[in-house]
Amino acid sequence: MDKCCEKKSAAPEVIPRVALIGNPNVGKSVIFGWLTGQYVAVSNYPGTAVEVAQGNSKVGGRRRVIVDTPGINNLIPMSEDERVTRDILLDDEDLKVIQVCDAKNLRRGLMITLQLAEMEKPVVLVLNMADEAKERGITIDRHGLAQLLEIPVLSTIATRRKGLDGLGKVLEESCTPQVRPIYSPEIEEGVTAIENLLPEKQKGKRALALMLLAGDESLQDWLHCRLSEQVILKIEEISRRLQSQHQEPLGFFINQKRLNAVDRILEGVFRKEKRSRGMGARALSNLTTHPIGGVPILLAVLYAMYKWVGDFGAGIGVDFLLNVVFGKAINPAVTWVVEYLFPWQFLQEFFVGPYGLVTMGLTYAIAIVLPIVGTFFFAFGLLEDSGYLPRLAVMVNRVFRVMGLSGKAVLPMVLGLGCDTMATLTTRVLETKKERILVTLLLALGVPCSAQIGVMVGMFAGLSMKAIVLWAFVVMGSMIFVGLLASKLIPGEKADFIMEIPPLRIPTLANIFIKTLARLEWFLKEAVPLFLLGTFFLFALDRLGLLKALQNMAAPIVVGFLGLPAKASQALLLGFLRRDYGAAGLFVMAKAGELDSIQIVVSLVTITLFVPCVANFFMIIKERGLGQALAMAGFIFPFALIVGGGLNFLLRFLGVNL
Amino acid sequence: MNRANEGPVPGRKRHGRGWNEAGEKSESHQREEILELLWTMREKGPVSVEEFLQMTEEEEADHILRKMERDEWISLKEGQVAFLEEGERRAEEIIRRHRLAERLLSEVFELEEKYMEPSACQFEHILNPQVLDSVCTFLGHPPTCPHGKPIPRGPCCARFKREMEPLVRPLADLKLGEEGRIVFITPRSRIRLERLSSLGLIPGSVVRLAQKRPAFVLEIGETTLALDEDIGREVYVKKNK
Repeated sequence: MDKCCEKKSAAPEVIPRVALIGNPNVGKSVIFGWLTGQYVAVSNYPGTAVEVAQGNSKVGGRRRVIVDTPGINNLIPMSEDERVTRDILLDDEDLKVIQVCDAKNLRRGLMITLQLAEMEKPVVLVLNMADEAKERGITIDRHGLAQLLEIPVLSTIATRRKGLDGLGKVLEESCTPQVRPIYSPEIEEGVTAIENLLPEKQKGKRALALMLLAGDESLQDWLHCRLSEQVILKIEEISRRLQSQHQEPLGFFINQKRLNAVDRILEGVFRKEKRSRGMGARALSNLTTHPIGGVPILLAVLYAMYKWVGDFGAGIGVDFLLNVVFGKAINPAVTWVVEYLFPWQFLQEFFVGPYGLVTMGLTYAIAIVLPIVGTFFFAFGLLEDSGYLPRLAVMVNRVFRVMGLSGKAVLPMVLGLGCDTMATLTTRVLETKKERILVTLLLALGVPCSAQIGVMVGMFAGLSMKAIVLWAFVVMGSMIFVGLLASKLIPGEKADFIMEIPPLRIPTLANIFIKTLARLEWFLKEAVPLFLLGTFFLFALDRLGLLKALQNMAAPIVVGFLGLPAKASQALLLGFLRRDYGAAGLFVMAKAGELDSIQIVVSLVTITLFVPCVANFFMIIKERGLGQALAMAGFIFPFALIVGGGLNFLLRFLGVNL
Repeated sequence: MNRANEGPVPGRKRHGRGWNEAGEKSESHQREEILELLWTMREKGPVSVEEFLQMTEEEEADHILRKMERDEWISLKEGQVAFLEEGERRAEEIIRRHRLAERLLSEVFELEEKYMEPSACQFEHILNPQVLDSVCTFLGHPPTCPHGKPIPRGPCCARFKREMEPLVRPLADLKLGEEGRIVFITPRSRIRLERLSSLGLIPGSVVRLAQKRPAFVLEIGETTLALDEDIGREVYVKKNK
């Protein structure tokens, strides 16, 4: 085993790095969590690991840095996150690889193993989900496979921490898989020609040459850093010449040859008995995406979420925290302490006044928003781990096509119901730039985040069903309208909808708790400072007497056009700091009976469609650039006012009673 | 081909009488065209001679009609045109050739309508019966042409009902739960082809069609994939027994 590996004595100050590589949804993140003791969102769809997570590990008695990477099906990247993975492999010469593979889908896993072999990376192969494979009558000759590839092969059930113990030990034995598919003589010739043009010391030349032949556009930057214009042109020339000799695209031809090589390996080590899977599970799985049968399930899921987040989180949770914890305990206590410490009214109000950091900022953040977001993240975790989300994508694919999106876009959209900022980050899983722009825009425009929804649910409580349906109808209508329009205006192709559907699984509660906590931590770090900032901002405005001035300035629009009380301009102003914050302001007004039902609907529509919150806006700048971010905000702001105002006039004109 | 709703076809020679060798050929050619038109008109209802003469583009139409009557291909009683046995057989054959050619051109070669029609008109005069049956089998004995008109059944289709399956068909034509081996993929873009192949969809892979709506759901080994309908139509399979 050891003879094929070059044992490099690594310098003591350099900590060796190990990357987890594999297809989407094979359990990389769970193994990452086990190795590092940290938790990254583990989920059933590609994308939550887009932000590459790194952690220190002491497994096997050695310090290592473990890198978790986004799932890939091929090292010729099709999306941004696939590219991230490929670049990690390319940039770090001494990187070791733990390749995680779904045992039942060994064929697709080995497709990546072959490419890692061509990159000359030392690999340990982990056959995860051994239990699911066994259930389906699959037996894999692990030792035969290890001998064939000449690398260590483990069999694991990561969610139950089974079989992972050996990982630390075998990492030492990892080496380059000894398997080389032979392509056609013409391609081999081209590969050799390109290899000779690549930098002398470059490792994994064969893999690079094949990527270049397949016309991998994303390698351009890498090339320009390392090679002269002339050489690049030569490489392109070789690739063009070869392409003209082949009927199919070269990338496809290469994939085909790889799969053929994989099938030859599988013949000896992979056996599947004909066995019917659990009929019940299969029937349910089919039902979830059934054009008719899937609809009640979808509605049931949505209703359960609404009940859980709306009633439990926004109702019981918020009531308890707001009225009992903060109302009866924290706020009085803090007020007493502050008044005892600071005799000046100015400072007292800074902490515990109507715009006090504690009485307003912290109370809103912890008492109103946290329980709602927490319950949502928990529900979302359940949806992810059970494998329902991709099925949802199948169900909504048709509706989304109207908006120029594929069903895949449902994932960021649903996550947007939790937090738009986070969802904007996950638009990276979408394949085309056009889709990423569209989804970012629609998220910013019309997907209310759970904090906002929670507050709204509280306001809906006093309204008729008619009003709620009207609100939903106007918001959805606006989104479809804008999506339709934008998809016509933004150049580019509609993305193909090709999506893997994982089996339905029963989620492990422990994993979901850990994941929810990790997300909440992220949310609190991101949200609470902004809440406090927003509160301080309001406090300052109030003290300087500017709040009145701003209200007066906005009054013509807010009062005249939207037909809302002047005070509502505060809520809209805050809505920019955090949308839910704005909604919470409206909530307080509604509770105090300062809004009639038409005003509530109009204000809710306006705040839903209103500019994205600051955090989301920063995220858009980060992901899409300042120009696009400004363009989006510049469109959304007037659009929201126009829709809100239009609705107000229409309702008043028709004399609708809500 | 159906002239009832199409303009004259460009790029075709008109043959008149008085051509020597070609004249012989041209007359059979003209007869075929006339039979074809009669058939398509008859699909809408009874055909009067008068109507037919207005529709046809063949210059010697009435002359040839009478010749065909003499040969007992058709009857022209009471101003109505009706097929006799020989005419019916020949007309059916020419229609079958034309409509199968249309299918072949539109499905396999993906020609646009404006190029498909003229080519189909040329094909119909040159396909011999053996080739025609192979084309029909290859296409899976399609019951209708791309315009939705019925294709007359040939000898191969009768056999097929008893013993043969079509060789290759779009994935979309599999029934739910059937398996097929992929024969070829005709994608619209390179990226699409490469993405499909990354997921294991290549010629030779066996797929099972689990669902067609709201999107195609396929099972390849233990992988389940959902994809757009239009992608599903680009994958051609051979059904597994």
